[in-house]
Amino acid sequence: MNIKKMYSKSEAVAGGGTSGAGTETPKGNRAGTSKPMKNPFQSMTWQKAAWIISLLILFAVPILVSKNSTLFMLTNIFIWAVFAMSYNLLLGYTGIISFGHAMFFGIGAYCFALMARHIPQGELGFLFAFGLTVVICFLLSLVVGLLSLRLRDTFYALITLAVATIFVIIAEQWRTMTMGNDGFNFTAMLSRDLFGFIDLLDRQHVYYIALIFLVSMFVVLKRFIDSPVGRTLQAIRDNEDRVSSLGFAVLNYKLISNIIAGVMAGLAGVVYAISIRFVSPDSVLGVENTIDVLLMTVIGGVGTMLGPIIGAGVVEVSSHYLMGLSHIHPIFERWVILFGIVFILIILFFPAGIVGTINQKLRGKKKEGAS
Amino acid sequence: MELHLTLVFNGLATGMLIFLLAAGLSLIFGLMSVLNFAHGALFMFGAYMGTWVYILIGGWDSNLGNLNFFIGMAAAAGIGIVLGYLVERFTVRQVYGNHLRQILITTGVMLVVGELVKVFWGPNVIRVVQPEFLTGYFAVGDVRLTYYRVFIIIFSTVILALLLFMLKKSKLGIVVRAGVENSEMIQALGINVRKVFTLVFIFGTMLACIGGFMWGPYQGQVNPAMGLDLMLIAFIVVAIGGLGSVAGSAIAAVLVGLSEAYMAYYFPPGSLAVNMLIMAAVLLIRPTGLFGATR
Repeated sequence: MNIKKMYSKSEAVAGGGTSGAGTETPKGNRAGTSKPMKNPFQSMTWQKAAWIISLLILFAVPILVSKNSTLFMLTNIFIWAVFAMSYNLLLGYTGIISFGHAMFFGIGAYCFALMARHIPQGELGFLFAFGLTVVICFLLSLVVGLLSLRLRDTFYALITLAVATIFVIIAEQWRTMTMGNDGFNFTAMLSRDLFGFIDLLDRQHVYYIALIFLVSMFVVLKRFIDSPVGRTLQAIRDNEDRVSSLGFAVLNYKLISNIIAGVMAGLAGVVYAISIRFVSPDSVLGVENTIDVLLMTVIGGVGTMLGPIIGAGVVEVSSHYLMGLSHIHPIFERWVILFGIVFILIILFFPAGIVGTINQKLRGKKKEGAS
Repeated sequence: MELHLTLVFNGLATGMLIFLLAAGLSLIFGLMSVLNFAHGALFMFGAYMGTWVYILIGGWDSNLGNLNFFIGMAAAAGIGIVLGYLVERFTVRQVYGNHLRQILITTGVMLVVGELVKVFWGPNVIRVVQPEFLTGYFAVGDVRLTYYRVFIIIFSTVILALLLFMLKKSKLGIVVRAGVENSEMIQALGINVRKVFTLVFIFGTMLACIGGFMWGPYQGQVNPAMGLDLMLIAFIVVAIGGLGSVAGSAIAAVLVGLSEAYMAYYFPPGSLAVNMLIMAAVLLIRPTGLFGATR
């Protein structure tokens, strides 16, 4: 595995060399001789540069764009991207499929919403909402995982669906607490000067919260996936029997993945509640949300880091515009049908999704060039 | 006492209706290991199609009497056969042997079929009345037995008996049972398992569609949420009864139907939770379900 990693690293460096100005360095690099780099810009591969540039652009967006609706949409894309990343940890990196992932998202959102409504505003309530979400999601994912992961793989899908439905029913029935099906709005209760400098009613501030949240979660997840535990999870995904016969406690690894995905989805729910300032069973808890996040993950690319982010963008933007077309023809109100068809086609013909397919193409080209 | 007899009677009717939905799901899973997430949507499509024909023909010609109910049922069965074939041929067959992709692709089918229902018949609730010859009730002591429920129980029991008989005696049934036990062995013996898969999928979808059609007059309405709601119950039934066991799913369906009836009387919001608890208890003690093959 180490060798593979080194290989891919040297390949990336070589790619950077050819695309840059230097014409002599690439061959030396490909051979593996590590010359000390004199020019700091030479060591920066085009991938890294692309990362930094796109990050800079994203951070500059609120300065360039003043339209609140655009900011709102981007904010939601970031949050859904984190949600989809957490789902991808299960589906793409562990190989288990959950139909109840929205329960964590919804629990996070409801935690924050209820806190905003019942505890007079302030930093303490804010932090408490985060803490409570982490604790609940941790315990819930542990219990659900223990109950379902030791059974046949398909039972996990079934049990998560059932448990999530119970949470929807609780949110619908416990009217004194959750206002039932109507949900509730808590715009008025949001703090205008959290920790002295965050204004939760300012779209720009919320945008930055979501962006920083996305970047930090991305880094955390990337590190986790590249860690020994993450590698083991991928091995379990590829061949569970083999890993198990090598002496790994497969159940424990799956539990870890389940817990991290659950807590991450819960945190995404908290940030989502901050952004939309409204919670209802349909908008955060329902099975439709799990289906949405499943669509994003699969369309973007299962088992890739960027896939869920691209998927969240594609699904959010296109559903927004398709819904806007509904005055032309009512069929556009049923935009889910289009996603369903695209989803089926992707599973049949491009199981790696958008990002995965592009990656394969790029890798194929590189190999052709090398040989 | 009357109360309990009524509840048991109601639970039996609900359970036998759920059985129609769960039987196909169980067989499909047992034979091909496909956890069919599209089953609920197909059930709903059958319900809408049958109901549409039922209401349409009832409006056209009142001389037909009660025939429109059976024409509606035939329409539901017909659309079940067509949809079952299409779904199996163009989606499920493409991903045999890969559990993850099977679940994903049937989820995609669920989305498409569920939305198609809304495209054809709108997103609103459609009221359905029971056919004339099945309205009303007869009383045994103080217990009122509605004709429609009696009809459901008899109809489903006949289907159950036929199904068990076919599985036991017919050649196809023997192949199906053997396939549930070990489908690779069947293949090795030179039997075209793919064909059997297709037939079972079509048959299961047809049963679900008939069940869906009968669900409409039972509840007095069909609505676009019924697919997901009932699919969850059907999953619970299949998990309790054991994957691939028809008799098991019949017993589990009645069990779940009874708990639904009792909870509907005492504490309606808790009915799913109770069913979940039953499922969790069964799975913890016997992971293969009550009657599942121990593999």
